[in-house]
Amino acid sequence: MAKIEDLKEEAKKLLREGKVKYIIGYGVGGNGWTAVPVFIKKPEDVDGLIWDPTCVHNLARFLVDEKRRKAKEKQPDARPVGIIVKGCDSRAIVVLLQEKFIDRKDVYILGVSCEKAGVVDDKKLAKKLKEKKPKKIELGDNGQFIIDTDGGKVEVPVEELLAERCLECKANFPVIYDVLSGDKTKRAVDKPFGSLEKIEALSSEERWNFWRAELEKCIRCYACRSVCPMCYCDECVVDSINMAVAADTSAEEKAQKIKWIQRSSESSENFVYHLVRAIHLGGRCIDCGECERACPLDIPLRFLNKKLEKEAKDLFGYEAGFDSSLPALISCFKDDDPEDFIR
Amino acid sequence: MAEEFEPKIVAFLCKWCSSAGSDLAGVSRMEYPANVVPIQVMCSGSISPLYVFSAFNKGADGVLVSGCHPGDCHYIKGNFYARRRLKMVKQLLEYIGLEPQRFQMSWVSAAEGTKYTQVIKDFVKELKPLGPQTKLRRTT
Repeated sequence: MAKIEDLKEEAKKLLREGKVKYIIGYGVGGNGWTAVPVFIKKPEDVDGLIWDPTCVHNLARFLVDEKRRKAKEKQPDARPVGIIVKGCDSRAIVVLLQEKFIDRKDVYILGVSCEKAGVVDDKKLAKKLKEKKPKKIELGDNGQFIIDTDGGKVEVPVEELLAERCLECKANFPVIYDVLSGDKTKRAVDKPFGSLEKIEALSSEERWNFWRAELEKCIRCYACRSVCPMCYCDECVVDSINMAVAADTSAEEKAQKIKWIQRSSESSENFVYHLVRAIHLGGRCIDCGECERACPLDIPLRFLNKKLEKEAKDLFGYEAGFDSSLPALISCFKDDDPEDFIR
Repeated sequence: MAEEFEPKIVAFLCKWCSSAGSDLAGVSRMEYPANVVPIQVMCSGSISPLYVFSAFNKGADGVLVSGCHPGDCHYIKGNFYARRRLKMVKQLLEYIGLEPQRFQMSWVSAAEGTKYTQVIKDFVKELKPLGPQTKLRRTT
């Protein structure tokens, strides 16, 4: 079992010696049992850090914000930022390093292993517990979650409550870290792309109907984009609101800006938005499932990204988030890339 | 008799090869269907997936991307990048349920006017039975 205590010692030391600016980790949320991201600046606050199966957030996103903030500071603090990462979050950091968005010396990575488990899916949990209110969730020693509820302790095998992405996780331990807590053990996964099978088995028309029903719901709140650690462009192609404006950008330039997609949500444009996002994440998505979790309309966005992850693996033998020294998927090629679709 | 459906094809043609190839077909007075709206681009590698999605969104029944044969790229390797990127686009469009015939790619050199006409003829022939593309087309 990964112990947060090991990391707390290290975190305290780092803060006391001033080696890091602050530490991004998980703390207890307002309801008393789910985790929320916390930013710790003082050594005495380190005791507030927690690590349990409700730590679903991908904190790597905050590194993107940190970089933006740093760019605006007149005298930037050059010290690294400490960050607590799970397996998937560490892969996000690898991709950010690979794309040279952040520098390795800008982060101090405190890794925690998911230890053959992962994080819980709150919908599955609510279903399982029915009326009972959970108070605390812990990972037991024999592959079960021990849930402390107001109606007594409940033990559930991890497979029943794990988030979908954790059930298909390629490496449930950090692949990059400065300090690691827990073992580098991997839960056996039979079908890493098993969840796609039921969609892929459908006919073209049925797939269309499935996606139309799902994407019609989209209200284009862009929560999926906001929460994604890979969506870090200053200027996003799907909305012209955040066009990068410099002092010498003329009014004409602003007016002439190409609007690829209208801002109102229209079914066909929802498709364009989600297709663009999926393709931009092709070979970069590390399957942290944050987009799906953040979606207020429960669109299964993971299936789009997972599909491209699968294609990248099958067609080009590429897996995102394991080696930051490799070139990115679409910035390299092989002479024998598939060509059967070209006349 | 009802008028036959004439598909509208948006073709992104590489300036250095396919576009010259289509010119050759033109000046040689070869006959081919008039369903194509050619758009000259500097390289097939410069085609963003968004061009393809946007073309469908704005009413194309089919999208063709045509570039130089592997090894012939004016910029040495642009078409290799295009090949990889657009394969992903093709897989994705197929996955969301668009007919796979609607998005095609070809290698046409500047000397291959005949091949260009053949590509267009085949493309139009494949699109006709599918009817208009309504899935990704904007309605408002």
